[in-house]
Amino acid sequence: MSSFVNPTLLWGLLILAAPILIHLINLMRHRRIQWAAMEFLLASKKKNNTWIKLKELLLLLLRLAAVAAVVLIVAQPLLQNQLGRLFGDTKTNHVVLLDDSFSMSDRAGTSSVFDEAKSLIGRLGAQAARQTTPQTFTLLRYSRAGAGTTGTQYDMLKDRVDANFDQKLDDTLRRLAPSQTAVGLSPALDAMAQFLSEATGEETIVYVVSDFRARDWEEPGNVAEGLAQISERAAQLHLVNCADAARPNLAVTALAPRGGTRAAGVPVSIEVTVRNFGGTPVENVAVLLSEDGRERPAVSIDLIGAGKSETRRFEVFFATAGTHQVTARLQGDAVAADNTRYCLVELPVAVSVLVIDGDPDARNARFLATAFRPGGNARTGLEPQIERPDYLNKHALDKYRTIYLTNVERLDNPAITALENYVKAGGGVVFFIGERTAARFYNEKLYRDGLGLFPVPLLRETQLLVDRLEKGADIEAAPEGLFSIFAGERNSFLAGVTVEKYFSVPKSWSPPADSGTQVLARLRNGDPLAVERKFDKGHVVAILTTAAPLWNNWGRNPSFVVALLELQSHLVEAGSRDESRLVGTPLRMALDAARYQPRVRWLTPGLGEAGSTTVDAPIGPNGLDLSLAETDAAGVYELQLSTTDNQVESQRFAFNVAPDEGDLAIVDRDELAGRLKNVRYDYRQAADFHATSHDLAGSNISDWILYLLVGILVGEQLLAYSASYHPKAKGAPA
Amino acid sequence: MTSDSKRFLHPEAVQRIAHLEVRARHIVEGFLSGIHRSPYFGQSIEFLQHREYTHGDDLRHIDWKVWAKHDRYYVKQYEEDTNLRCTLLVDVSGSMRYGSGPLSKYDYGCTIAASLAYLLLRQQDSVGCVSFDDAVRVTVPPRTKRNHLQSVIAALDVSKPHEKTDLYRILRTVAEEYPRRGMVVLVSDLLAERDGLFRGLRLLKQRGHDVLVFHVMDDDELDFEFSGSTRFEGLELSEHLSCNPRALRDGYLEALHAYLDEVRRGCAQNVVDYALVRTSQPLDVALATYLSSRLGMHHRN
Repeated sequence: MSSFVNPTLLWGLLILAAPILIHLINLMRHRRIQWAAMEFLLASKKKNNTWIKLKELLLLLLRLAAVAAVVLIVAQPLLQNQLGRLFGDTKTNHVVLLDDSFSMSDRAGTSSVFDEAKSLIGRLGAQAARQTTPQTFTLLRYSRAGAGTTGTQYDMLKDRVDANFDQKLDDTLRRLAPSQTAVGLSPALDAMAQFLSEATGEETIVYVVSDFRARDWEEPGNVAEGLAQISERAAQLHLVNCADAARPNLAVTALAPRGGTRAAGVPVSIEVTVRNFGGTPVENVAVLLSEDGRERPAVSIDLIGAGKSETRRFEVFFATAGTHQVTARLQGDAVAADNTRYCLVELPVAVSVLVIDGDPDARNARFLATAFRPGGNARTGLEPQIERPDYLNKHALDKYRTIYLTNVERLDNPAITALENYVKAGGGVVFFIGERTAARFYNEKLYRDGLGLFPVPLLRETQLLVDRLEKGADIEAAPEGLFSIFAGERNSFLAGVTVEKYFSVPKSWSPPADSGTQVLARLRNGDPLAVERKFDKGHVVAILTTAAPLWNNWGRNPSFVVALLELQSHLVEAGSRDESRLVGTPLRMALDAARYQPRVRWLTPGLGEAGSTTVDAPIGPNGLDLSLAETDAAGVYELQLSTTDNQVESQRFAFNVAPDEGDLAIVDRDELAGRLKNVRYDYRQAADFHATSHDLAGSNISDWILYLLVGILVGEQLLAYSASYHPKAKGAPA
Repeated sequence: MTSDSKRFLHPEAVQRIAHLEVRARHIVEGFLSGIHRSPYFGQSIEFLQHREYTHGDDLRHIDWKVWAKHDRYYVKQYEEDTNLRCTLLVDVSGSMRYGSGPLSKYDYGCTIAASLAYLLLRQQDSVGCVSFDDAVRVTVPPRTKRNHLQSVIAALDVSKPHEKTDLYRILRTVAEEYPRRGMVVLVSDLLAERDGLFRGLRLLKQRGHDVLVFHVMDDDELDFEFSGSTRFEGLELSEHLSCNPRALRDGYLEALHAYLDEVRRGCAQNVVDYALVRTSQPLDVALATYLSSRLGMHHRN
C-alpha cells in the first residue's frame, strides 16, 4: 500500500467527475438544427458509429486519467518497498554519520563547517518530522564509533521522531563540537555495518555528513568497500559535503628535540616544522614558543611555499632535571586545532654511560670517561661509570643510555644475553677492540654469522703499513652516516690521526644488504674501521682499533672527543623513545604494582583541577594496568602517582593533533566518483541539500506520474485530432 | 376569393413576393444590360420596328419600300412569336426550408423561378409554373402575358410544406398535364429517392421536353462546417440525431459526394442539363446557366 505526502489532496479525485459532468451538460445544451440532408448524416453515422463511440470512450478515459494524474502528482504518492507494502507502515530510519575531525572546525567568518553540518542535520530532522510514516533518527560522530573501551557511543540511537523530537535534536546538536581527532570514516562504517545488519524490516537512509577533504579519499580502500556495503543494504546513501571552499591553513606539524645529549643544564636542540596547506606562499610566519609556560623569542620563517613545509631548529635550556614542556603556536587561521603543538623534553640530571673495560687497569675506559666528562666549565651531561665485564650479568642495564665495551676479552653467556636484550630494547652499544680481543670469541659468540649483535666478523690483528709516499689521512669518513661531519677536505683534525694497528675483517665481507649494517669509516687501505649495525630497536657500533692511544694516536687528537660525543648523541637519538601520541588514541601503560599504589589521578589539559579524574587501576599480568581512553583534547596529560612509601610522582604525556588533518583541500566530485566506483550514492553540497519527501520515505513516484501525464495529454491530443475534434487550419484542403 | 389567395394576400407573403419580383427584375435586367445584342428576335407577324441595315444582316429582312422612299437600307424587325413554352417545377417541400444564409433554399429556388419567369415573359415566351412537395400544390398554366408573373409568384407561396416522397409521381403528372413539347425547369434540392427522379426525368425527355435541373443546395449541406454538440432534427424525416458533427463530417461528405455524383451521372445519361447552385452564389450564375442552356437549345433547334 502506498501512502501519500498530502493525502488530504486526494479529495481532488472528485474532479474526476468533471469530464463526465461536462459531457452530460453538453448533452443538455446542445444546438438544435432543423436539417434537410439527414440521409447523408445517418449514413455517416451508421458507418462510423462504432469507431466514434470507441474513440470517444477512449478520449473520456484519457481525460479522466489526466485529471487523476494531476491529483496524484499533487498528493505525491510514495511507493514503499515490498516489505512495506506487505505490512503497511514502513519505518524509516535516518542515520547521520557526522564527521567531527578537527578539519570540520574550518572557520570562515562566524560560522564553521561544523556549524553548517549541524544546521543540515537540523533540517534533516525537521524533514523527518514532517513525514507521515514512522521515522527514527540516529546520529553518530566519527570519533564516537568504536571509540575507547566503551564501544560505539551513539549521540542518538533510533530515537523516535515525534512531537518533542525537534527540541531533542536541538539540544543534542548544541552539545556537539568538533573534536581534535583526525579519525576517519572507517570506524563509523564498521559500526554502521553492524547497525544495518540489526535493522530488518526498516528502510535506512544513511547520510555521511563530512567535509570531504582530498587527503581522506586518496586511498579510500576499506572506506570504499564499507560504503559499497552500506549502499547495498541501505535504501539510500547520501554524501553531504559541508565545506564550501578550501581555505588556506598553516599547521605546526612537528615539534621534537633533535640530537645531542639531553640532560639538565645542557642546551637541547628542538626542531619545529610548519606546513602551509594553502595554495599560495605565506610570508613572515611567526612561531610563538614557550618553555614550561614562559614565553621565549619567537622563531620567524620568512617564506613557506604553497603546500611546502619549513623546519627551523632552536635551542632551549633547562637548568633543572625533569620533564619540561615546550609549546609552539601559530597565529589564528582557518583551523585552530593544528596551530599548537606540544612537546615534552625529559631531562635527567645526567645521562649515565656504562664503560666496561676488560683490562683491570682500565686505560681505554679512562680515555673514554675523560672524553665524556672533560671537567671544567664544559658540561656534556654525561655520567660515565667504569666497570668490569662481570658487571653486565649482575646489574640491570636499562638505566644506561649507552654501554661502551673496550678491550673485552670475553663475556659469559648471561652477559651476552643481557647485552643483546639491552640493545633489542633500544639501547646503544659501542665496542672498541684492544690487545685482549680474541677474534674467535667475537666471531663465535658475538657475531654468530650475523645473528649476534656484533656487526662484523673479525679476522686478525693487523698492522697498517706506513705509506711514506702517500700523505693522505689514515681514516676516511664515509660521506654519509655518523662520521659524515668529518667528511671533506677541510678537516685537518682527522687528517692528523695515525692508525698503526687494527683488527681486519675477512676480505670477502661486505655489509649485507638490508641488514642495517653500514661502514661509518674506513682506513686508507680500504679496510673498515668503524661499522654500525641496527639490532632490533637499538644500534651497535664496532670500532676496530683501541680507544686509548695504544694502536693509534686518535685519543690525543681533538677529533676523538667530537667523534665520541657525536657517536653518543647518535646512539641516544637512535634509541630514543620520544613518543608522538595522537589525540584520540587511548593511553595504556603498565606500572610496577609493588612500587605504586593502585589509586592514580589523571589531569586533563586545559581544565586544571576540574578536569582531574581519580581511578583505581586494576592489577594486570604486567603490574598496574593504567589506561586513559579520553584523550580527545590536544595538550599535556598528567598522571599523578603515589608510591607505596607515599612519595608523589607524576608522569606527563603530550598529545598532539594529527598533522595532516589540517590539509583542507576538498576532493573533486569526479575524483570521488572514480574512487567510489561500486558505490551507489548521491553526493551534494550541504547548501544544495534539501531532502525532499522523495528522499525521506519510500520512493516518490510523482515524477513518473508526471511523465505519464505528459504521455496521456499527448495521447489525448492525438486521439482528439484523429476524432476530428480539432478544426482544420484555414485554407487547408477539406 | 379562395382560401389560397387569402393566404397569398397575407401581408408578409405579399411583401415577400413583391420583394421577389423586384429582386428578379433587378437581377435579370442587370444581367441583360451586360449583353449588347440580343439574339432573341424571331419571325413573327407583328411588326415591331425598323432598324438601319448593318453588315451581316440577312438581305431577306431588308424593307425595300423604305429603300425606295429614302434610298437607305432598313431591315424590318418583328416581335418574336412564342415558340417556347416553359414550365417551372419548383420544389416547395419541407427540406427546401433550410437556409444558413439570408436566403433559404426555398427562397433561392423561388427567386430562380421568378427571375426565369420574368425573363421569359419579357421575351414573350409562355411560362407556366408547378409548385410541389409530396404532390402538386399549385399549377399555373403557361401564359405570355406580362402580368402573368404575379400568378407564377403566387403559385410559389406554400405555407405548410409537406415532405416530398416520390418525384416520379410529380414529374409524371407534369408530363401528362403538359403534353406539348417545351422546356421544363426543375428547381429542387433533389433530396428524394433517386430512381424516381431519374425515371421522371427520362419520361419528360421521352415526351420531347427540354429539361433543365437547378439543384439548389445550401453551403452547410455541401460543406458541413458544424462544430460542437448538435442535435439535427429532420425537416422531412421524423428522425433526429445528436452527435458531434466533426466526427461525422468525413462520412457525411463522402455520402453527399456519392449522391451528387449519382445525380450528375443520372442527368447526363438522360441528356438533362444539370446545374448545382449554392444558395450563397449570386443568382446571375443560375441565370447564366439557364441562358447558356437556352443558347445551346437554339443551336440544337
